[in-house]
Amino acid sequence: MRIIILGALILTIASAFVLYSSNYETRQLEASVAEQERAIEKARSDISVLKAERAHLGRPDRIEPLARALGLGPASEQQLAATPDEAIARALGAAEPATKKKGN
Amino acid sequence: MVPDAANSGDDAAEGADGAPAPRPANGPLRTLIATLLMALAFLAVGTQLFRLALQGQGDISVSLNETVAQSYARPDIVDRNGRLLATDVEAYSLFADPARVIDRDEAVEKLAVVFPDMDANALRNDLSDRNRRFVWIRRGLPPRTAQTVHNLGLPGFDFRRELRRAYPGGKLAGHVLGYVNIDNKGVAGIERYVDEVVGVESVQGATLAERPPVRLSLDIGAQHAVEAELADAMSRYQAQGAAAVVMDVTTGEVMASASLPAVDPGKPNMDQSRLDKISGSTFELGSVFKTLTVAMALDQALVTPETIIDTRRELTSGRFTIKDLHPLRRPLSVTEIFLHSSNVGAAKLALLAGPQRFQDFLRHMQMFDTMKTEAGAMAAPQIPQRWGEIETITASYGHGIAMAPLQFAAAAGAIVNGGRKVTPTFVKKLADASVAEIPLISTATSDKMRVLMRRNVAEHAGTGKRAEVRGYQVGGKTGTAEMPGVGGYREKAVISSFLAAFPMDAPRYVVFVLIFEPKGTQETGGEVLASLNAAPTAGRIISRIGPLLGIMPTQAAAAGGTGMAFDAAAHAKYEAR
Repeated sequence: MRIIILGALILTIASAFVLYSSNYETRQLEASVAEQERAIEKARSDISVLKAERAHLGRPDRIEPLARALGLGPASEQQLAATPDEAIARALGAAEPATKKKGN
Repeated sequence: MVPDAANSGDDAAEGADGAPAPRPANGPLRTLIATLLMALAFLAVGTQLFRLALQGQGDISVSLNETVAQSYARPDIVDRNGRLLATDVEAYSLFADPARVIDRDEAVEKLAVVFPDMDANALRNDLSDRNRRFVWIRRGLPPRTAQTVHNLGLPGFDFRRELRRAYPGGKLAGHVLGYVNIDNKGVAGIERYVDEVVGVESVQGATLAERPPVRLSLDIGAQHAVEAELADAMSRYQAQGAAAVVMDVTTGEVMASASLPAVDPGKPNMDQSRLDKISGSTFELGSVFKTLTVAMALDQALVTPETIIDTRRELTSGRFTIKDLHPLRRPLSVTEIFLHSSNVGAAKLALLAGPQRFQDFLRHMQMFDTMKTEAGAMAAPQIPQRWGEIETITASYGHGIAMAPLQFAAAAGAIVNGGRKVTPTFVKKLADASVAEIPLISTATSDKMRVLMRRNVAEHAGTGKRAEVRGYQVGGKTGTAEMPGVGGYREKAVISSFLAAFPMDAPRYVVFVLIFEPKGTQETGGEVLASLNAAPTAGRIISRIGPLLGIMPTQAAAAGGTGMAFDAAAHAKYEAR
């Protein structure tokens, strides 16, 4: 009988400890989940701001003057070729008169 | 003795145990009850532990200690290539609790420094009402401004985090996008469509939407090119406004829709001059309408392109006299009527069909419907109450009948695409989405119209020759419509327009350009004719958007091409960086 009581006592203490620690752990986990959720929300918000900033910096009416200042211009229909061969042929064809001009 | 001693020890123990007489009898029962109770308690604890172990964490309620505001989380809006047009960003909104504001005058004074445009008296009145516990001061502040206000250290003032709509492109496609109200709810344009069809999430605070972005049919590159060329045209021809739409003739997808003066979706402006000229207003379109008249005459087999019509004399109907701007004083073929844009000829073609058939044809071409796109309902067409001879005559060259340019562009799309119905849309269609093929006119008529439109640009005598872009086979029709004013038409105030399609051998896009009240400049020889302003503008737009939209120029153009537009000077400059 004494053994049973002793055993019960030990079990009581053990289960109380287990309960306490799991409760404590749960709270810690809850806190870390909340923290991570906040971090996610912050990251998502940062991403949306960065995306907006990137789009703002890449907006065409900002890029166009910059590109023009670099000496670039809108792509012309004359720069398009249906096949690579055609492009090479045209580049060669255009290069020849140019060199001739230089020779003159 | 030893057993005795043992016995006596036993006795002593038993004697101590068994001192009260009734105990030995009740002892086992009490123990049993206690044990049972204990066991029950353990069982309960055990079950609870087991249950917790099985259930895991369960629902965790996170209580964020923040004041929050009700608003709407909206999905992003992107163009057809996924480039961002509108998104939600987090912003701070300043509010006050008047009951907690200690020094009202100091607070108003300090805030007035941060917000110079603030109405100080209104704020003072709001703050003096001690019954109120909540007053918005300023919503949607950028983080820096919020920090400045925070640093003032005013008691009774606090912030709420909210979502704000941001339009990173600025005014780009402002008319199509529409705008949202202070609670981030869509009010007009695509933003309203997002609310009504796609759906928004009602949120507390600043939780971003998880919905996938809304993909529009617009192409940011093409949209910008069109807006830039229109702005250039406005200054070139000293015009009051300009508008253009580029539409895919197969799917009805609008690739670009611009109306100048532009609007900033971030700062809605209800000014009358800033109405969307593409789908929000109706105009008498003038001679471009002859495209429909000629198509009708051809489709109903009333004439062939070679049929000769007598246009020598002015046409009189009632008190009206119909004249040609540059009369040739000879009979013209239907082709010539189109190329020379003869009013008398167009009127004769419409009269050949008669008011009823002409009207039926226009209705068939969806000219009388009130169209609706994702960006909202289009302005309803204005059609004559009763159709007599004179209405038929004026409508044949685009007067006395007004409609939104996008509605006309849809009809024009059907004329060049082989006769199939085109329904304009601002939302990108999936690659595998099938387009319902509803024939409106015969393929043969469409082919003939394409030849006519191409000749109008390709031939030296054509009114649209300044719209030619080498290799792109542009075809089109000019229109110079006088603008109605008080008591008749205003002199020298015109809408000059150019309806173009390209490449004409297998049309992909229709481009409709309108220039409002252009002035005669040196470049146009003092004239306000569409052939001198709208047609070249359309040409410049096509030359710029063609490569962006991936249209290959024809072989013929390539052969005659000058080759490298990227010349040596530009190359050197680029290399130096």
